[in-house]
Amino acid sequence: MKQYGIGSGGAFAWFFQRVSGLFLVIFLLGHFWLLHYAISGEFADFETVRARLALPLFKVLDLVFLYLAVYHGLNGVLMVIHDYVHKGFLRIVLVALLWTLGLTLLTCGTLTIATFKA
Amino acid sequence: MHYKWKTGMWAWVIHRVTGLALTFYLCLHIWVVSTLSSEATFNTTMKFLTSPMFKLAEIGLLACIIYHSFNGIRILIVDFGKGAYYHEKLFWGLTTVGVLLWLAGSYPLIMHAVGH
Repeated sequence: MKQYGIGSGGAFAWFFQRVSGLFLVIFLLGHFWLLHYAISGEFADFETVRARLALPLFKVLDLVFLYLAVYHGLNGVLMVIHDYVHKGFLRIVLVALLWTLGLTLLTCGTLTIATFKA
Repeated sequence: MHYKWKTGMWAWVIHRVTGLALTFYLCLHIWVVSTLSSEATFNTTMKFLTSPMFKLAEIGLLACIIYHSFNGIRILIVDFGKGAYYHEKLFWGLTTVGVLLWLAGSYPLIMHAVGH
């Protein structure tokens, strides 16, 4: 039988997509408030970011936000690939590219936040 | 495959399209914020992103964020609550609130773009 959709093993992905989505909405409200309203100048400049990242709590929250967003976004793309690409080889190539993108984004984002000297 | 083009189907299609757009934005966002490694580069980049073209693009970004968040909340209510019984009403209710929120959020962006 030709298999459509995400196939087996998708229960966790299905559930965690919803959990991460809910947390992203909550995080995003804070993100919007801090970066578009609770700022003194025209935009959040380096000094604004520096002052916040001086607090370890902000670094931890930003990292959690980053990981949830990358997971949620790329898991969504994975679902789209699973829905439309059924050819084995192309599917493997696309999923491999997606993992490469994901690891690049996680590395880049983690370095930006974790190595920032406030 | 046969699609039934009713409210739920449109809700799903737009959720996908906005989701892909937001993931694309996320990639750009992580890249832009990585300029934090240099104070001068970061400030120059952020200043550049306040130009009218980007402010107008942010109106589209805001639409994607509001739609995807609100429809996401609707999905949670349908999947974990009793939303399946009133998912269409929920869709139009949330859409109304979302459009109002989008208009309110677009106003400062437009004002900024035209230079007030």
